[in-house]
Amino acid sequence: MTLDAPRPLDSTTSSFASVAEELLDDVYGYLLYLTKNWAVAEDLTGETFEAAFKKWRRFDPGRGTPRAWLLAIARSTALDWFRADARRRKREERAGAMERSGELTTFGEGFSAELAASLQWLSAGEREVLALRVVLDLDGEETARLLGISVTAVSTRLSRALSKLEERMRDHDAVA
Amino acid sequence: MTPSPELIHELRASRPSAPAELRARVRAVASERPARAPWASWRLPARRGLLVAVPAAAALAVASAGVLGVARSDSPQAVSQGSLEKSTLQTASPEYDTSTAGQGARSQTQPAPLTTDERAQRVSATLTVEVKDANAVSHAAQSALDLTRSLGGYVVASSVATGEEGSASITVRVPVNKVQAAIAGLSDLGRLVSQQVTIDDLQQSLDELTRREATTRTQIARIRARLESESLDPQTEAVLRARLQTLRTELVSIRRGLAATNAEARMSTIQVSVVTPDASGAAAPSSRIDRTIDEALNVLAWEGVVALGLLIVLAPFALVGLAAWVGRRVYRRHEEERLLAT
Repeated sequence: MTLDAPRPLDSTTSSFASVAEELLDDVYGYLLYLTKNWAVAEDLTGETFEAAFKKWRRFDPGRGTPRAWLLAIARSTALDWFRADARRRKREERAGAMERSGELTTFGEGFSAELAASLQWLSAGEREVLALRVVLDLDGEETARLLGISVTAVSTRLSRALSKLEERMRDHDAVA
Repeated sequence: MTPSPELIHELRASRPSAPAELRARVRAVASERPARAPWASWRLPARRGLLVAVPAAAALAVASAGVLGVARSDSPQAVSQGSLEKSTLQTASPEYDTSTAGQGARSQTQPAPLTTDERAQRVSATLTVEVKDANAVSHAAQSALDLTRSLGGYVVASSVATGEEGSASITVRVPVNKVQAAIAGLSDLGRLVSQQVTIDDLQQSLDELTRREATTRTQIARIRARLESESLDPQTEAVLRARLQTLRTELVSIRRGLAATNAEARMSTIQVSVVTPDASGAAAPSSRIDRTIDEALNVLAWEGVVALGLLIVLAPFALVGLAAWVGRRVYRRHEEERLLAT
């Protein structure tokens, strides 16, 4: 079921429903890499599309692609979650909680065991740039704009992330 | 270090797909009809709003200046007020005074009508006429002197300055019955820029002096009669003679006052200033379009002053706001990096 667009995406008859259908995997993949938790990624993906749906009328095709726009909303949603998570952890630390809840890190299906294990060693920022540049195949400029950093910084971060990941996968192979 | 193609391939091959449940949830979200706020279609992003608001404000300022310019250009006085000085009347109880300023039209160069009754009056007039250049100032001054003499008057003071910005200041006295002719003639020396005629009533003081003269003369006559007819003791006679002397002195003073007041009433004083456009700073009468443009520019200038004032007042707040915004951005950037470093 599709929804008539309140405002056309461009000259075609694209609608929010068709955009959501087309870009759902991208948004979910990005959030999964960022949070390394499929359950959280699903929740955040849902929140992202709800927020995007409310803002759909304000989307300006002249200022970027729907994918960049949706990923920006997804990033903002994820950062809110990270903040809330950090506060929750602080509260738990203050309360002296011995058992940390919600530390489930699972990428879900589709990831090899060594890739999933190796990705655990990367920071969220490194996983984010991997997701954007390699998995979603965004170009350097689009990624830089989304992350609010320079293209050079994106390249540096990507290179570091790939090196780290490759190293971890080699170690994993060696242990195996 | 170049990453291995196998790693890139594996990353791309393991591209996550959204589970069916999530897909269904997003479809459900997308199928909802959004609740539209009534003003939703009018909302503009801040930058676009600014792009619209700034030219709109500028257009409004220009339009209002234009409208005010057209409205205010109806009154030529509005233009002349800035360039012409208008003398202030300093008459105690003027029976009549009139003044005009900035009138270049031929019909308006006629002198103001004076009273025609027979009361004694002090008539004084101040005229400013504008001539084209310094040479014309000399000619006008000479013509003023000739006119004064031809009317039976005389020159009280005259000052003529030549040069690039010539000017002349002439004070003349002419018989009061010729004052209208004098003002008319002097007004014709050039373009009448301003005219002020002041009339003070002298009849009251003249009547008072006449009454005092009669009283004094009566008193003198009585004392003289007593001195001539009665046989007085020396002391009384001395007192009467002293009194007679005082009254005679007083009578002389009163007669002088009467003569002076009559002279004042007989002759009027006219002060004429002859100026060039450069010296007077007066512009030639402008057309309505010129006046409209002048007024519009004037309004625009005031709008600019108000805008500048607002800018000066609001600038500190804007700077504080900008600093707060930049600070918040920097803080959030650091916070994001910290959050994503884990």
